[in-house]
Amino acid sequence: MKFKKKIASRVRQFREEMELSQIELAKLVGVSRQTIYYLERGSYNPSLTISFKISEIFKKPIHEIFYQEPIIKDILEGKSLSEIREVAEVAGLNLEKLASLSEMDDKQLAKVFKKETMTKIAIALGAEFEDLFEN
Amino acid sequence: MSKEKNSYEGSISSSYKNKELLKNTLLLSIIATAGAFFIYWIIIMIYTDGLNLNVEVPIEVLYLIFIIVYVIFGAIIILDYGYNRAYVKNFTYTISEDHIIIRHGVLTKTVAIIPYSRIQNINIVNGVFDRIFKTFTVKIETAGSSAAAASAKSGIIKPEGYIPGLKDPNIIEKKIKEMMTKYSAVPSGLEDKIFKPEELAFDNFISYILSKMREGEKLKTSITELREKANLSAANLAEKVGVPLQTINYLAEGRYNPSLALAYKIAEILQCKIEDLFKLV
Repeated sequence: MKFKKKIASRVRQFREEMELSQIELAKLVGVSRQTIYYLERGSYNPSLTISFKISEIFKKPIHEIFYQEPIIKDILEGKSLSEIREVAEVAGLNLEKLASLSEMDDKQLAKVFKKETMTKIAIALGAEFEDLFEN
Repeated sequence: MSKEKNSYEGSISSSYKNKELLKNTLLLSIIATAGAFFIYWIIIMIYTDGLNLNVEVPIEVLYLIFIIVYVIFGAIIILDYGYNRAYVKNFTYTISEDHIIIRHGVLTKTVAIIPYSRIQNINIVNGVFDRIFKTFTVKIETAGSSAAAASAKSGIIKPEGYIPGLKDPNIIEKKIKEMMTKYSAVPSGLEDKIFKPEELAFDNFISYILSKMREGEKLKTSITELREKANLSAANLAEKVGVPLQTINYLAEGRYNPSLALAYKIAEILQCKIEDLFKLV
């Protein structure tokens, strides 16, 4: 069992460190401003050549700028404590176990949690198993 | 038109004119002989029934008819031979990165430019007369319908890309396929979905996609070495990543610019950094 991941980026953080506007960065990379906007929002999976160009501009390795993040972590972090408590209750877990989920890697996940539990968590979060995990 | 870097130019074999000569001689001699007898028969009918003359038509009339008909027949054959000679001389084709250009025509010169995005299939025809002269005809069928008119030779409708009298059709087929797979693996049906009314927009769109695909050439990859180090076959890797084998092959050949997510997946499986896997040249 694995976390389903998406590409998250620190483009905004690095761009602001370099005091560049979105338009300036877009020109340097050779893409449109919208592309940079979507990159920063994390809703865009860039091509490898664009990733390389950005890593060249920031002088940072790719994995520092773009990193893979489990989708579930993103969702859990966006919830308030009371909401998380509710999710834990619906999933039949204690709060600590659910909280530890976002710190796990794929191997630990496979060891500790069963598929049924993960399905329950997914339902509690209002999603399908396939949206958050891979088999 | 400027000569492009990655293009292949060719002309057709002069056997084509001999083939046409044989074909037309056979066809016309049948018509001429039948025609001569027909005229003779008409004359007899007019003599005996129409004019009611009780006179035998002399056999010399038949000879005369034959001589006249065969002289006309000979003249047509000679003219046609001359025409086909000029046709062979004027016929050239160029296979370039994204289109085929066929230049032909004796009296009316035609330049047919066929973008690969329009090609549906390539047929190699080897007819009876073709076999006698060991030549082949390559027909390139396209999605367009106005095509037939554009390159029809003397009123006979032929597919847009019509290259007759080739000694070795495999060269042309190989070249076209090579160029096509290299530069235009465009999903079929896309045309209808997006840009149907504006032909130009479609071609622009295609060239945009092609330029995107060519970005893969800027990537140097050590995917094959790392894969072998990890004791994985290309098929194994493809299965683990969850992509078609072709994708892995294209990547290894530098013909594809992958998304970051795909690059991450491969790097994860081969247990290396993205920078170890790919380098921007």
